[in-house]
Amino acid sequence: MSERGMLSRLAESLFWIGRYIERADDTSRIVDSYVHRMVEDPFNDEAATCQSLFAILGIDATDLALTRTSTLDTIVYDVQKPNSIAGSLNGAYENARRSRDFISSEMWVALNTTRNELRPRERVARTLGPATYLAYVRERCALLAGLTDATLSHDDGWQFLVLGRNIERIDMTARLLRGRVAYMEASPDWMAFLRASGAMEAFMRSTHQLDNANGVATFLMLDRMFPRSVLFALNVIDEALMEIQSAGQRDNHGDSARQIVAHARSQLEFIDTETLLDQLPELLQILESACYRITDAVTHKYFRHEEAILWVSEGGL
Amino acid sequence: MTDELRLHIRHHTGFIYEGFAKSSYNEARMTPLSLPTQDVEQTKLTVRPAVPLFTYTDYFGTHVTAFDIGEVHGQLEVESSTTIRSRAAAIEGDLTWSDLATVGFIDRMNEYLLPTRRSTVPADVLADVAPWRNNGELHDVVDHVSAFVRSRVKYVPGATTVTSTAIEALERGQGVCQDITHITLGLLRSLGIPARYVSGYLYPKRDPQIGETIQGQSHAWVEYFAGAWTGIDPTNGVRHTARHILVGRGRDYGDVSPLKGIYHGPKSKGGGVVVEITRLA
Amino acid sequence: MVVHFESDVSGAWNEMFSAPGVARPMYQGLLGDLTSLDMVELGLRAEQLSRTFIDRGVTFAHSGEERPFPLDLVPRIIGALEWDHLSRGIAQRVRALEAFLADVYGAGRIFTDGLMPRSVVTSSPHFCRPAIGVVPPNGVRIAVAGIDLIRDEHGNFCVLEDNIRIPSGVSYVIENRRAMTQTFSSLFSNHRVLPVDSYPAKLLAALVAAAPAKAASPTVVVLSPGVHNAAYFEHVLLARMMGVELVEGRDLVCRANHVYMRTTSGERAVHVIYRRVDDDWLDPLQFRPNSVIGVAGLVNAARAGNVTISNGLGNGVADDKLVYTYVPDFIRYYLGETPMLDNITTYRLEEAEACAEVLAHPEDYVIKPVDGSGGKGIVIGPHASAEELAAIRVAVAASPRNWIAQRPVALSTHPTFVNDKVSPRHIDLRPFAVSDGNDVWVLPGGLTRVALGEGELIVNSSRGGGSKDTWVLSEELVTAPLLTGEVTQAPMDSAPPQQNDEFIGLDEEQQ
Repeated sequence: MSERGMLSRLAESLFWIGRYIERADDTSRIVDSYVHRMVEDPFNDEAATCQSLFAILGIDATDLALTRTSTLDTIVYDVQKPNSIAGSLNGAYENARRSRDFISSEMWVALNTTRNELRPRERVARTLGPATYLAYVRERCALLAGLTDATLSHDDGWQFLVLGRNIERIDMTARLLRGRVAYMEASPDWMAFLRASGAMEAFMRSTHQLDNANGVATFLMLDRMFPRSVLFALNVIDEALMEIQSAGQRDNHGDSARQIVAHARSQLEFIDTETLLDQLPELLQILESACYRITDAVTHKYFRHEEAILWVSEGGL
Repeated sequence: MTDELRLHIRHHTGFIYEGFAKSSYNEARMTPLSLPTQDVEQTKLTVRPAVPLFTYTDYFGTHVTAFDIGEVHGQLEVESSTTIRSRAAAIEGDLTWSDLATVGFIDRMNEYLLPTRRSTVPADVLADVAPWRNNGELHDVVDHVSAFVRSRVKYVPGATTVTSTAIEALERGQGVCQDITHITLGLLRSLGIPARYVSGYLYPKRDPQIGETIQGQSHAWVEYFAGAWTGIDPTNGVRHTARHILVGRGRDYGDVSPLKGIYHGPKSKGGGVVVEITRLA
Repeated sequence: MVVHFESDVSGAWNEMFSAPGVARPMYQGLLGDLTSLDMVELGLRAEQLSRTFIDRGVTFAHSGEERPFPLDLVPRIIGALEWDHLSRGIAQRVRALEAFLADVYGAGRIFTDGLMPRSVVTSSPHFCRPAIGVVPPNGVRIAVAGIDLIRDEHGNFCVLEDNIRIPSGVSYVIENRRAMTQTFSSLFSNHRVLPVDSYPAKLLAALVAAAPAKAASPTVVVLSPGVHNAAYFEHVLLARMMGVELVEGRDLVCRANHVYMRTTSGERAVHVIYRRVDDDWLDPLQFRPNSVIGVAGLVNAARAGNVTISNGLGNGVADDKLVYTYVPDFIRYYLGETPMLDNITTYRLEEAEACAEVLAHPEDYVIKPVDGSGGKGIVIGPHASAEELAAIRVAVAASPRNWIAQRPVALSTHPTFVNDKVSPRHIDLRPFAVSDGNDVWVLPGGLTRVALGEGELIVNSSRGGGSKDTWVLSEELVTAPLLTGEVTQAPMDSAPPQQNDEFIGLDEEQQ
């Protein structure tokens, strides 16, 4: 990390680029698994499935029609919704515009062309189904992740991006699992989750067990080698925070974000894996709250820039 | 009437916010100038919260004290304290109407001949004084204009605000010294007489007693050019006297406002302005 | 189908052809290369070019939409000798404008010596009184200038206007070249074209040279109004290529007349601000208090000598179109030199005789507001309706100071690829000059803007204008020098001269 730090506004933009790209990626994986379920299972309760999907993604579904088409509109194509796939990619794009002098041109071009391509892809997807669209998004997110790691210097800016990416990843995994716990009937089965996370092969290789709910949850939460597991992401977050802190503000108050990470990690590490499933609701609560609090702490410590100030004239001049 | 007054002036401005201001940036134009009519013996400007002060002289020759407050603060106080000796100015200059009409003169005085937003006077009012152009001695015409303004706008404290314009005051028929000054500027300029806005203080009593501290006020009057810059106070219908203490000059109020500032925070409950003047000798 | 060049019938100077089918010497190589291609290939390359720009986001914001600035395939060529003359003329003009600004915000010699009325300045809305006493450390108020040139019917380059506030467009010069070398590399093999990519380094050097003396290793930033500004792409490009931070007003804070930027490891001092924010919005304490894109306290920080604002405060007073009429006088008065570049013949309507003539025959003149940008308010006499002429008469009579009148001039034309044809289109040229206090360096070439509509005179990007890569050849290719004034172009008397319309689009940035 450089002694001089980086522009706070820029750091915040990079953090959000990380979060938004990951959000687009994760959302497309989740939607994919649900769409499969709706298509494959003729007895599926469409409304209940849609409801659970909204709940996982944190979208208020009170006024929304719970049909497959309108759900896809809201969660996939609607660029106005910050949690939708198109909205997330647009959020990444807007933040990239603001940090365009920092990110690599290759990243910029990749993000810009992705955004330009979404409309035509959407038109195709509305006729042929969302699968190609979702696949395109995942492919582009993978490309963006690759370019992030390969074309950016691994300095503070990159660390902030990685930080955002992994906070989002934990957040999404936690939501996904909670959806499974809360809407058992209306959510895809465990294997579908694994497939959607691209974790099927890794899971099989590490456990050689199929259809073991506790095993899947344990894998997604605690695997030390799989980059989408919660523990893995927590370790990455801690490393990023340490790098950023090491030469940054040398305050003696410690790093509250790292304390939150340490706490969450200890909760995971000392869990009894045999009964993980029973403790899952409580753990997920802790993780979701940790994500929120880490973001808050990082924002407070590093993103302390002003919004544009509307000045008031003294004496009413 | 005494020839020379030795005065102490304390000018205090305070702003109290409804809550706290996060930061503020300000320029005070509250320091009297040293001039042929006034000698500044001592002057000091203090700001609370205490912050570094930066001074400079602006385009119009006014002393400016600039400062910023970067910490959260509930109120802002600026106080200027000056000891000064003051004399009445003579009426100077013997330019004629034809001198005022030369191309070179108009060019040189350009910015004191153009109307400003605050000093723009409606055409029908301009028409009332238009016949005085090229008619009579310049200084006399200025006195006529001054009397004319008083006949149209009654001095009523609090009738208008600092943002009011000449037009608004004329419509109300009421105003404060700032409005009366703006109207006078607009009229004199329309006659081709260069005129500028003066801000300062007025010792209110015609017969000041030594040692007595009385409430004075921020005041505004006019200087016009008829060969030399000469003061006239249209609000009081007098020429510049020893009781007039000059702080700054400009095209209108906007160039000389005593405290110009912006802050980031809630509404200000308005400030108290206190001017106390004590005759020392 | 081979590439066919349409002949020019407009009566304007054609940059490529001296007569139908006869290319000027410096264009002969290019013409050979282009005519060897077929139209299909040309079309494909044009498509590839525009794709490159869209992918790279080389755009300007117009009505809330990001649009690419179309790059034409056919480059414009300026010969070495002619460029030598032009660049020296531009540098001369910038030096004179710099001297004028120092005088305006200083002693005012030019007024007391009677060369120019003081009121021209004191009545200008861009005369910036708070700038009095803000002294640039190395004397440079014009770090960057964009001087708009047009070539008239006789082949003479004339100055149309000076942009010394926030001239924009240089990013397109750099991007155009990059795109052309990528998609059309073959064209460059037969020509020695002067490179344009040294611009950011030159600009950075000039900004560093302008830093306050007490800043040992100065921090330079680019201050942008933000992503919604029409020229945001350019701000990004320059910051990136100079390797400095791109900041917005809210990233900066003034404390006790020092300027800092907010970083993840606290506040860091800033010494030079290459600002792309207009005076009016730059400091809410001094100018518009409702500005949310400025930095409160900035002007006094500059006054205290702790930060340099570049370009300088109040430069607009020198690109007022009435002041423009005096620039040749500035060159003689301040530099003791003869102007190398002429103005377009311009009449000051403050002067009674000129005013009377224009009021009598407005249909013979192009009448412009002195403070206009973006082509706003311009009346082109020969094209104007009776109502427009009547209205302009009233407006001019009411405030002659606010207007100038110019002789109508036909902009030169250049073969341009439009709708699968190569046809002549009107162009102008905006070269960019960078001054570091010792030397005024002129970027070889500049931005050639082209009006894509047939007969269209407005090369404005927001009105569908495009641009061309502009080549300055490093050596003269032929023995016969093409010097201004020595041109023996056959008179084109087939059509009446057309007018120099405003071409902006990329002129001063407006917030």
